Amino acid sequence: MIKMIKSLYQYRELLKSNIKKEIRGKYKGSFLGVLWSFVNPLLMTLVYAIVFPFILRSGPEHYVTYIVIGILPWNFFTTVISQGTFTILGNAGIIKKVYFPREILPISVATSGLVNFLISIPIIFLFLLFSGIGFSWYILLLPLVILCQYILSLGIIFITSAINVYIRDAEYIINFFVQMLFYATPILYESSLFGDKAWILSLNPMTTIINSYRDILYSGVLPNMGLLFLVLIFSIVLLLIGIAVFRKLEKGFAEEV
Amino acid sequence: MRKKDNIAIKVENVTKRFKLYYDKPSTLKERLVFWNKKKSEERTVLKNINLDIKKGETVALIGVNGSGKSTLLKLMTKIIYPTEGKITVNGKLTSLLELGAGFHPDFTGRENIYFNASIFGLTKSEIEKRVDDIIEFSELGEFIDSPVRTYSSGMYMRLAFSVAINVDAEILLIDEILAVGDQHFQDKCFAKLRELRDSDKTIVIVSHSLGPIRDLCKRAVWIYDGEIRMDGPSGEIIDEYLKVCG
Repeated sequence: MIKMIKSLYQYRELLKSNIKKEIRGKYKGSFLGVLWSFVNPLLMTLVYAIVFPFILRSGPEHYVTYIVIGILPWNFFTTVISQGTFTILGNAGIIKKVYFPREILPISVATSGLVNFLISIPIIFLFLLFSGIGFSWYILLLPLVILCQYILSLGIIFITSAINVYIRDAEYIINFFVQMLFYATPILYESSLFGDKAWILSLNPMTTIINSYRDILYSGVLPNMGLLFLVLIFSIVLLLIGIAVFRKLEKGFAEEV
Repeated sequence: MRKKDNIAIKVENVTKRFKLYYDKPSTLKERLVFWNKKKSEERTVLKNINLDIKKGETVALIGVNGSGKSTLLKLMTKIIYPTEGKITVNGKLTSLLELGAGFHPDFTGRENIYFNASIFGLTKSEIEKRVDDIIEFSELGEFIDSPVRTYSSGMYMRLAFSVAINVDAEILLIDEILAVGDQHFQDKCFAKLRELRDSDKTIVIVSHSLGPIRDLCKRAVWIYDGEIRMDGPSGEIIDEYLKVCG
C-alpha cells in the first residue's frame, strides 16, 4: 500500500496530465467543447422538468432546482462509472507498451469527473439563487458529501475496470445496472413517495448521497449524519477492496487487453 | 553486498508461459456455453532464464523472430510478469518498446512531450528542464506547436524518439526502434546511444540490425527458442549467430 502511494507520487505528473487529457481530450474538436459536460445534464433536466410534473402531479416545490441538484451529482456518478469501467481496455495501447502504475487510469477518470462536477456546482448555485431558495450554513458540509461520492465511485471502478478486461460483458451489465439505479435513487422524486418502505432505497448508497446534497442545498437542513457516515465507511471499505482486486488482476492486463 | 550493488537487472530462473486460445472466450456467453471446451494450449516462451546485467553494461539480445527476446524485455519492464522465477531491477528503468505510446493526435507536439515524458515517470520540473533539448533533438522546429495528427510519420517517430532518449533513466531497454527517420537522424540516434553508453548507463537492446549492434554493445546474449544459447562478447556471438542462422 505504501509502495503504491510512493509510486503514484513519483508518477504524479502522469496523473495530472492524464486528468487534463480526460477533461480536454474528450471534447476536443466539438464546437462547445467542455461545455458539453454541463449542457448535457441541463438538457436532461429540462426534459424531466417538462415530463415529470405530468406523471407525478404534485411534485416538490421549485421542481427544476430540485432535480438539478440530483442530476448533476448523478451525472458525475454515471460518467465516472461508465468511463471508468472502460478505462483499462480503452488504454490498451499504452498498457501493452509502457510500464506505469496502472492505478493511475481509474484514479484519473474519477478525478476528472470530480473536476467537471466542481466546475458545474456554480450552476446549482445559480438555480438556488434565482429560485429564491438561497443558501444555508450547512453548505459547509458539501465537501464531505462530494468526497464520499468520489471515494464510492473510485472504489467501484477499481473493481469494474479490472473485471472488464477479463469479461467484456461487464461493461454492458454495469451500464444497464447504473441506468436502473437511476430510478432507484430519489432524483426525480422524493424518498417519502415510498412511505414506510423508503428504507429499501437506503440500501443504495447513492440515495444517501443524493439526499444529503438535497438536504444541504435545497432544504437547508442537516443531512442524516449517521447514514452519511455509514456510507462513508462503506465507500472506504469498498475502495480498499477495489484496490486489492485491482492489484491482483493488473498483472494480467498487458496479456489480456 | 557489493556484488549485488553492481547488478542492474537480475533475472533468476524465469519461465514465462502464455496461454494460447484458439477462440478466446472473452464474453460471458462464450464462457458459459463453452465452459468445458478446453481450447487453450500453453506455450512456453522462456525457459528457466538466468541472466545478470551489470551496471553500465550495454547488452544486445539477438535471436530469430519468436525466440523470446521481446518477451524478456517486457518482463524486465514489468509490463508482464513471469510465470515462475523472479526479476530484480536496481535503478530507474525506462523502456522504449514502442515509440509514441500515448501520443494524443489532437494535442500539439509540445503537449505530447509533456504527456509522453510523464508516462516515463518524469515530474513537471524534470520535463521542463529537458523540453528544449527534446525539441532541438527532434529537429521539428516550428512544427512543435502543431497538432501531432498533422505530422508525417517520420516527424512523429522523431519526436517520440527524442522524448524517449532524453528521459535520462539509469537503465534503458530498447526494442528494435533504431530504424527511425532518415539516415541523418539514425546517425544522430546512434551517436546519442553511444554517448549514453559511455556515460555509464545500462542499456539492453533487442535488434536485428547486427552491424550497428556489434559496434554499440560489448556483450551479446543469443536467445534461441526460449533459452540462452550463448552469452559473451558481442563480436564473437554475432559471428557465431550469423554462421548458424545467416
